[in-house]
Amino acid sequence: MKYLVLAVSAFLAIVAQMIAGNNFFLFNFLDLSLVLIAYWAIYRNRIQALFVGSLAGLMLDAVLGWPLGFNGFGKTLAAFTIGQVAKHFNVEAAWIRFIMIAGSSCLSSLSMFALWALLARPSSSLFLGASVVQAIITGAAGSLIFALMDLYAQTHVKKAS
Amino acid sequence: MSIEFAPKTREGRMVYVLIPLLLLHLALISLQIEDPAGTILLKKAVFLVSAPFFNLSAGFSRGTRYLWQNYVWLRNVRQENAQLKDAVQQLSLREKALVQAQEENARLQRLLALTPTLPVQGLAAHVVGRAPSYLSNVLYVDRGSSSGVRVDSPVLTGDGVIGRVILTSPHNSQVQLITNPDASIGVLVERTRSPGVLKGSGNPVLSLNYIGNAEQIEAGDPVVSSGLDGIYPKGLPVGRVTESYKGKSVFRVIQVAPHADLLRIEEVLILPGPVKKE
Repeated sequence: MKYLVLAVSAFLAIVAQMIAGNNFFLFNFLDLSLVLIAYWAIYRNRIQALFVGSLAGLMLDAVLGWPLGFNGFGKTLAAFTIGQVAKHFNVEAAWIRFIMIAGSSCLSSLSMFALWALLARPSSSLFLGASVVQAIITGAAGSLIFALMDLYAQTHVKKAS
Repeated sequence: MSIEFAPKTREGRMVYVLIPLLLLHLALISLQIEDPAGTILLKKAVFLVSAPFFNLSAGFSRGTRYLWQNYVWLRNVRQENAQLKDAVQQLSLREKALVQAQEENARLQRLLALTPTLPVQGLAAHVVGRAPSYLSNVLYVDRGSSSGVRVDSPVLTGDGVIGRVILTSPHNSQVQLITNPDASIGVLVERTRSPGVLKGSGNPVLSLNYIGNAEQIEAGDPVVSSGLDGIYPKGLPVGRVTESYKGKSVFRVIQVAPHADLLRIEEVLILPGPVKKE
């Protein structure tokens, strides 16, 4: 059941991102699946976050029409990075979360770019610049979402007590 | 202070999970690089399950736009001009409908203008989704195998070729744009009749390969499909040369900008089935 939730949440994140991106151009720079991975690594379980990253990456490859594995590799690496940062550092401050998510987004993009180059496939010169914009937008959105979730949870706990 | 939403379970060492997962992805990539022509089951399954969401989202989006333009906006006009309420409502509604119909008509006429030159009857389709990427070079359309669309069916707009179908479900298709790194088209430079292969790279411009340094290709030269690839019919407009200079090898370095605005495609024309070489 746990793994079904994991798969469904990854699928829904990608579908939501596609729908939003189709209607508002800026949403194409928001990597919702990475926000989901960060949520899983910070709030749930770091091992499961690796599976979320892996699965979300494969699904992204499928919808992007890329060979399966490029995003899977990048997102798994991003999940590992976020998991390690969350394990060794105090990630309660929003700015640390921003750096953590933006950094892992850059790492994921770089790893895909490297794989692309290693396999001698044509790659876009826009890729690196756009990856930085994506990292900033995803980092900001992720930190904001997590701050709101914390706020909601705090209010909920206070009301209950 | 952050609060956990669910208790953390006992975790093993992440590296033991990470390494097999990364190796799995690398193995997957290797398999596909060796055999790019094979159909991949996961791609097909994800596409089949997600395709209905695009139709739903496109319908919802169209409905919301329709409500906003034809109802909410008219209510504001009515408040500003109560005496002419009914007249404004009727006229605005008709005007909006006419403008939309004219715009659609113009786009469809440009599509129809292509059809006499085509070897098979084209099939009009709406774009219902895009791949979630800032460098999106995959589209989703609302026609599928039940309408006769097949893998490798060429896809056009009134401006020219935009790509080909790479996956189909009964009611939707996935279209690979010509800017996709995996896409290539056999083309001719119209003025000199020099044949070459146009290749996507993920950038908005395409590279035209295998044209010798001796050829006199200039910026502004139109490029049309050659029909030699067995997918696209001969003579369809593809793009225009933006840059051309002698390369270090025996071939010229040529950049081509597509005629069609690939970021703003709403309707397309699909030629059911790949067009065979004459």
